[in-house]
Amino acid sequence: MPQMGVSVAEGTVVQWRKQPGDWVQADETIAEVSTDKIDTEIPSPASGRVVEILVQVGVTVDVGVALARIATGAAAATAPVPAAAPAPATPGSSAKLASAPRPARPGASSQPRAAEPAPRSHGARLSPVVQRIAEEHGVDLDAIEGTGRDGRVRKQDIMAYVEAHGGARPPAGAGEPVLHSESPYRPGAGGSLAHGPYVPPEGRPLSRMRSLIGEHMHRSLQTAATCTTWIEVDMSRIEIARKQLAITALPLISRCVIHALVEFPHVNAWLQDDVHTIHEQVNLGIAVDLGDDGLIVPVVRGAQDLSPEGLSRRIRDLARRARARQLSPDDVRDGTFTITNPGQFGSLMATPVISLPQVAILDIEAIVKRPVVVTDQFGEDAIAIRPMVILGLSWDHRAIDGALAARFLANVKKRAESYEA
Amino acid sequence: MTEMTYLRAISDGLRTEMRSDERVLLMGEDIGVFGGAFKVTDGFFDEFGASRVMDTPLAESAIIGTAIGAAVVGMRPVCEMQFADFVACGFDQLVNTAAKMYYRQDLPVNITVRLPSGGGFSGGPFHSQNPESWFMHAPGVKVVAPSTAEDAKGLIIASMRDPNPVVYMEHKHLYRRVKGEVPEGSYETPFRARVAREGEDLVVIAYGAMVHTALEATADLAGASVMVLDLRSLKPLDEEAILGAVRHCSKVVIVDEANETCAAGAQVAALIAEHAFEDLDGPVVRVATPDCPIPFSPPLEAAVLPSVDRVREACRQLIEY
Repeated sequence: MPQMGVSVAEGTVVQWRKQPGDWVQADETIAEVSTDKIDTEIPSPASGRVVEILVQVGVTVDVGVALARIATGAAAATAPVPAAAPAPATPGSSAKLASAPRPARPGASSQPRAAEPAPRSHGARLSPVVQRIAEEHGVDLDAIEGTGRDGRVRKQDIMAYVEAHGGARPPAGAGEPVLHSESPYRPGAGGSLAHGPYVPPEGRPLSRMRSLIGEHMHRSLQTAATCTTWIEVDMSRIEIARKQLAITALPLISRCVIHALVEFPHVNAWLQDDVHTIHEQVNLGIAVDLGDDGLIVPVVRGAQDLSPEGLSRRIRDLARRARARQLSPDDVRDGTFTITNPGQFGSLMATPVISLPQVAILDIEAIVKRPVVVTDQFGEDAIAIRPMVILGLSWDHRAIDGALAARFLANVKKRAESYEA
Repeated sequence: MTEMTYLRAISDGLRTEMRSDERVLLMGEDIGVFGGAFKVTDGFFDEFGASRVMDTPLAESAIIGTAIGAAVVGMRPVCEMQFADFVACGFDQLVNTAAKMYYRQDLPVNITVRLPSGGGFSGGPFHSQNPESWFMHAPGVKVVAPSTAEDAKGLIIASMRDPNPVVYMEHKHLYRRVKGEVPEGSYETPFRARVAREGEDLVVIAYGAMVHTALEATADLAGASVMVLDLRSLKPLDEEAILGAVRHCSKVVIVDEANETCAAGAQVAALIAEHAFEDLDGPVVRVATPDCPIPFSPPLEAAVLPSVDRVREACRQLIEY
């Protein structure tokens, strides 16, 4: 188990990409492992033949424990062979190789393919279209008289055969209702029952990432006394600064949040059982959406020392690496406060779940132009159009109270509304 | 509808567009008073005057370069290369300037470059070439090649209206040999393929003069039903039509009059190999001119250009496969 970051002490094997008997090149992926947050691929340290797998899927071992043995001396004896090629007569490995999975063509059935070229009597090769038609209709090609060169079965031959005899099974799509019909109404069709009982598609186990997110979030809701406080912020000055600096609003509002965290360090804290840790340094977690796979929260360390431009660069880099699955475990640990930013899709409010052991998380929603009442320097009220956003802070009532949450949010609001680039 | 030659159809398209759009102007060697080496612009000088039918020096680079400048300020120039072979002198302007201007500077270069191309009349190595694939390889340029009188008019009008640089391949051998009904007035032929003949057992894919060779070669092929697909546009290629024809017939012969290596048909073959593999019932067969200059000698020229006999034999063998 390789050392994948200074904090990583153990890892769990998720999948073996190579089996005993397989050839593996140096740096080729041999296995996938997961640590507490990151799933990663393990490159083979050397070229050779996999002799033995020592740690089975699902088992967690410490860093430094051997996962598998690779015979590097075997290189000269046999050339690298693809995993599914016929077994070479290598002593000791032939039995395992023989059970290696055969290459399955997408969509191919599990039964032996009728179009398997080996035992044919015609002696000629089959074209791709003939193989496909034979497979779709389950036709035994030995039964067909080929009229092509050297008795080759041509497309016309197999089409004529299918027309005369019918296939062993109907072609894909046969029997399905036509996509377009004159009218959906058919006399005598008995309403929804005409479609038969609903057969749901086959379910699949949750991905490892989804399971981890679920476990983490559920534990948070069970453990923390979660409350959410909202505040509305006029983003006019942030918008001006954003255009001047040519960056997004996220690093600018993050900058205001970081200042507020330094001023209210109780919000920048961990609560582990009854141990309360107040941080001076701000390690800012930024939730990154990974589409259907889930999300991950890489951490900007020492964020209190960064300018908005510096924050922008770091956030962009972390998000890019997160989406490319290139984060290391060190990139996702030690967060002291988290920002989640789903407002790009237009949503207005949310109640984010705190990432334990942190005590608070800030949710930034969509910036929307609204009519608001503003007061000018003479005390006159007027209605103005302003870009407004709702910030939501979920906080752990075990560690802090509502008044502090409100003061913290008001501090963020004041900084944002008086922002000078 | 009026019956006219392929050559007159090109003239008709140019004249129709010039009458309706003052931005269209013609540039080329001897296209004015003389009416062009092949008389495509015969009478244009008298009708439109020297400012719209411009005789130029013998300098293809200058013709295309000037046209690019005119296009940038809003004109729609049509350049005539006297022979397609001579476009090599204007290659840099066309490939490096015209093709990339929109990409680099957001300036559309609406020029049409007419290339009288092809052999079959003992023109020799400098008056017989088919350089279409030079330009297919240059992103930013479109390449079209009509085979009928109707398409010759429709494609020259569509080329003038397309905001991109368009290389218009007009086959000299078809100029006066091919006649057809041509609609009156203005119309555009889309940059898409055309089924020249429906068929079941095999498809021959060709363009330009080779469409006629393919039709003649497969008119009577021992009862076989042969589709002929006329590409009309080489860049962009009508991938949908090509793959659809291959799925339908499962056997394909691709004919190029150009030299074989990297010809348009090579791209068509690669497309089929990648996207229609499971529909093939035989090897993808190409018939093209071997990689040699076009000879002056009539029997030698006939030996290298794809002939009706060569195409017929290739089709016969593939059908039997």
